[in-house]
Amino acid sequence: MAKEKILHGVPASKGVAIGKAFIYEIKKTEVFQTPILSVYLKDEVIRFEKAIEKTREELKKIKEQINREIGEDFGQFLDAQIMMLDDETIIESVKQRIFTEKKNAEYIYNEVISEYAKKLGESKNAYFKERVVDIYDVGERVLKNLLGVSHTSVLEAPPNSIIVARDIPPSEATLINPKNVVGIAMELGGRTSHTAITARALEIPAILGIGEFLNKVQNGDDIIVDGERGIVIIHPTSGRINFYEEQRKKYQQIAKALLPVSELSPETRDGKRIDISANIEFFAEAEHAVKYGAIGIGLFRTEFLYLARRGSPSEEEQFKVYNALAKKIKPHPVIIRTYDLGGDKIFSDYHEANPFLGWRAIRVCLQETEFFKTQIRAILRASVNKNIKIMFPMISTYEEIKRVKLIFNQVKQELKSKKIEFDDSIQLGIMVETPSAALMSPFLSHEVDFFSIGSNDLTQYTLAVDRGNERISQLFDHFHPAVLHLIKETITAGHNGNIWVGLCGELAGDPLAIPLLVGFGIDELSMSPSSIPKAKLVLRTLTVSQCQEIAQEALNFRTALEVKKFLSRVVRKKFPGIEELIK
Amino acid sequence: MIKETIAILNENGLHALPASRFVKLAEKFKSKVELVKDGVKVNGKSIMGILTLACEKGAKVILICNGEDEKEAFNALRQILEGQD
Repeated sequence: MAKEKILHGVPASKGVAIGKAFIYEIKKTEVFQTPILSVYLKDEVIRFEKAIEKTREELKKIKEQINREIGEDFGQFLDAQIMMLDDETIIESVKQRIFTEKKNAEYIYNEVISEYAKKLGESKNAYFKERVVDIYDVGERVLKNLLGVSHTSVLEAPPNSIIVARDIPPSEATLINPKNVVGIAMELGGRTSHTAITARALEIPAILGIGEFLNKVQNGDDIIVDGERGIVIIHPTSGRINFYEEQRKKYQQIAKALLPVSELSPETRDGKRIDISANIEFFAEAEHAVKYGAIGIGLFRTEFLYLARRGSPSEEEQFKVYNALAKKIKPHPVIIRTYDLGGDKIFSDYHEANPFLGWRAIRVCLQETEFFKTQIRAILRASVNKNIKIMFPMISTYEEIKRVKLIFNQVKQELKSKKIEFDDSIQLGIMVETPSAALMSPFLSHEVDFFSIGSNDLTQYTLAVDRGNERISQLFDHFHPAVLHLIKETITAGHNGNIWVGLCGELAGDPLAIPLLVGFGIDELSMSPSSIPKAKLVLRTLTVSQCQEIAQEALNFRTALEVKKFLSRVVRKKFPGIEELIK
Repeated sequence: MIKETIAILNENGLHALPASRFVKLAEKFKSKVELVKDGVKVNGKSIMGILTLACEKGAKVILICNGEDEKEAFNALRQILEGQD
């Protein structure tokens, strides 16, 4: 009996899964050299042409599937792959070499493809270097079709599978079938890889970037993916499996019981309404937001537009996405956050010593102004729907918001002079996620229409704890009194300046935090769609005056642990029946 | 034959999507289309060829169009290289 082993990785998609390992291996197809008799050379060329044709059909099918299930923005890389496949220089050169060298098609094709991959691999530019992945992705498909070898595909995963892989190529990631695949564990990859994006879209728990571990797993082994704690457990003990089974059953029961709650209005027992909205990352997730009863989108992250294209999307491409989303969510609002690139979200050829303190988010946009203006123009154009608000991330100084507004107004003027319509009263807000912004909030509140507190980064920056660093992760706690004081001050400053204040970090969906935030006077809470029903139920058990008492007292503690102990004790006492929800 | 040096102004250089737009457009013309960078010449109707040139923003390439519709081809393709499409 193999020993239980716990592995840590990047929690790329939330939720818990228990299943059997399905090992997906990209085995490079073995190609042998065979001489071909002159009389058969024509047949060899025909065989090659047929393989190209078959591959083209496969890629087209995948592209259609992606467009249908995830959105057209994601299928675009396949256009480039199809074009690589149909590249006339390659096809001609393979055909010619079959005739002159009198060798088999797969050998020649592999040679030709490898030459191109090698040239690209030598490029100093990271972007071009990484395109080798696409060449091999296409090349492998052709070789398998030539050899009649079936393509090992994630499509073959039986029910209750947890896909275990070193890496899943982009064209393959999008084929993951959520009916059979319950979880994903991968040696490589991060939060922004195609696999991560797909997993979140399909609501499949996923832990990526685990490091080498495939040699410890075999097909059919029991395996647990815990997207909540960021761990993968291989060969779990029966005790562990039972624990997770129980937990999963409970989750499912609660989820089932909670679904009707989606339709309830988000208000306290004494009738104060708190807008509960959804944080989403791409268009397909809007469906989940609606299903779980979100009152609009409180945070629409736009980084994927950059990442999916591996470069800046045009104004038109962005406009299409923003416009479609605004239309879908109408009459509720959509808050679009401008690019929060940098930090952990890559520019793959750029590295710096302290990415979280470095060139990221608004700092990038204020330097790359054309890039920034293009996004603002696209957002403004979509604002004709009258339900869009715009939000700028990581403001840390007063000058920054002044500069942002200058650029924003320039773009407005440009549009006006070109007689392009937009919502002139569009609300402009900032994310308060640095201690400096929180402390400056009395001044900042006069410059904007709303604040949205980003509790994750605010915690990270206030406590000076890199939230990705495992060794110090115990220091990262959004119930830390310092963080709570800053949140309270920001809300108060916002209200004194007559603007509304929301919160869109992890704290928003934490049932224990909701009474506290309501007590502080929060106006909006934005969270991952699946957290919404529970948050509504918690909210509906509360009364404002009791929450205010709790909030006031919570600020008297010295440690995060004291705060949490106090909250769980007093919240249970004041709001009987809330226990089940808080667990 | 038209032959001229052009600076790549497309924001991300000639990466996969502009490169595929370039090829799609080049294929519409009868003329032969070629790109030269640092002495390496590739077929402008081949995405693999173009990608291996690794044209970053600011890079200089020579665009060569040769054939009956060379003028139209040159003008249209130049716009993609300059990021104006």
